[in-house]
Amino acid sequence: MAGIFVFSEDKALSEQLLTPALELKKTLSEPITALALTDADAKELAALGADKVVLLEAASSWTEGLSEAIYSIFSGAGGSVFLVGGTLRGKHVAAYVAAKLNAGMITDAKSLKIEGGKLVSTRLLYAGLALSEEEVTLPAVVTIPPRTFLAPSAATNAGTVETVKADSDTQVAISDVTPLGGSGVDVSAATRLVSVGRGFRKREDLKLAEDLAAVLKAELGCSRPVAEDEHWLPIDHYIGISGHTVKPELYLAVGISGQVQHVVGARESKVIVAVNSDEHAPIFEAADYGIVGDLYEVLPLLTAAVKK
Amino acid sequence: MPKCLVCYKWTLDEKDIKIKPADSSLDTARAKGKISDFDRNAIEEAALLVEKQGGAVHALTYGTSAVKQSLKDVLSRGPEKVYWIADASADAADACVTANVLAAAIRKLGSYDLILCGEGSSDVFNRQTAVRLAALLSLPCVTYVEKLSIEGDTVKATRKLDEGSEVATVKGPVVVSVLGQINKPRIPSLKQVLAASKKPNEEIKITDLGLKPESLQPKSVHRSVKGFVTKRKNIIYKESSAATNVAKLTSSLAAEGLR
Repeated sequence: MAGIFVFSEDKALSEQLLTPALELKKTLSEPITALALTDADAKELAALGADKVVLLEAASSWTEGLSEAIYSIFSGAGGSVFLVGGTLRGKHVAAYVAAKLNAGMITDAKSLKIEGGKLVSTRLLYAGLALSEEEVTLPAVVTIPPRTFLAPSAATNAGTVETVKADSDTQVAISDVTPLGGSGVDVSAATRLVSVGRGFRKREDLKLAEDLAAVLKAELGCSRPVAEDEHWLPIDHYIGISGHTVKPELYLAVGISGQVQHVVGARESKVIVAVNSDEHAPIFEAADYGIVGDLYEVLPLLTAAVKK
Repeated sequence: MPKCLVCYKWTLDEKDIKIKPADSSLDTARAKGKISDFDRNAIEEAALLVEKQGGAVHALTYGTSAVKQSLKDVLSRGPEKVYWIADASADAADACVTANVLAAAIRKLGSYDLILCGEGSSDVFNRQTAVRLAALLSLPCVTYVEKLSIEGDTVKATRKLDEGSEVATVKGPVVVSVLGQINKPRIPSLKQVLAASKKPNEEIKITDLGLKPESLQPKSVHRSVKGFVTKRKNIIYKESSAATNVAKLTSSLAAEGLR
């Protein structure tokens, strides 16, 4: 059994995967094989430290439909660790490969290393309430979320590139591919965020938060219900367990109760401020500063005070 | 008329789990059980489908002896029958073991047009079970579904992904995992709760599934589980005058260099 494999349909993420792969290579002393979907990606991965790149030539561009082909390559080579980019498509591919191998899989690893011939990894449980350290028998499959690692710098020797024909799943037909109707705002890159929750009574009232964000030079974020249930803001503003994880210098949560599913997305912020009418709302436990009060009264005053 | 099977997990309600200050370990003593959040969406979706176009919904769960507490709850949400596997192996089961057990049970139960799962469980959120089941049962799989319809033997599902959405069309039988936004799970009415106690439940013994010992051997083992503790200042201004509170907060922000 040998070989560290990496795969992501997302170019930037596949490059990031090489960083933990190179780290694992130091302990396992096994070559790194990267799977790529385009010629450009293949060259880049070969330059960044993959010993070998397998360029998959497939009839369909549907990533999930390549699961069986990817499994065949990994198991055919007797791979020991498979690192997969933790997009939703990537998680689908990863779980398929793990099932066919009857192998363990770590979803959304925060760290990984080899100890005693096993893969040891940390990940979150209970929507972020707890951190678990798990050890997995090899072969092991791991998904790694975007931006967990930085891409490595160029390697001294470029790896080889080999093109392989890959069969696609023909059972599932894909149509109506629609890009996310987002606002183009990247909340994960914002240095300051004003984040809104269900404490607002109607969409128009978000103006109060927009005014505050304007004087703070902040972007607008939101909790899940504001984006998914009310559709007051596009989904790319959503911060939380299944949305964005943000690390701004200021995170100001307004009318957000602070369930762990939300807080997990914001708790790496430098300073967290909460405005909420409920003194017992869990958001105050996660905050550095807070005001207990009616946001309709507090926000205009705060906007005026910051403006001064 | 579709014959549906919904797989669900009986989990601890994370809202009631506390972190012990002494050693950051988890205090689950006061945590009650619940049907995992997104599994409730899967149950609801199957119930809605069958209420609209006929057919049948069965439910299936694998867990420790605690799963017995879930039977009435799940039956009050629409399924006409629930199959349950209660075994101590579930305590340490990883996604690999869980899928092996559920797949073996499904083979025993016979064929379904649609096998539904939640996107992931609210405790460990591995998001593996639907895909693993499909792989083990050699069925197609459509994950992360926010809209679902079935016509004859054709399943049409709108998937929601990181970068957008797409429609998957596939002939059943198929395994589908649903997202939380696909529907709003019902709060069972008194009538539905009362009817639930008359619906059948059937235990499946794990020993009757013909699983090899290695299929029940977890590949992933927890070494430690610790509460995630972040230290925050927790300075909360709660005087009756909003103006006073705002003045205090703005000077705090200034002190942090955030004005």
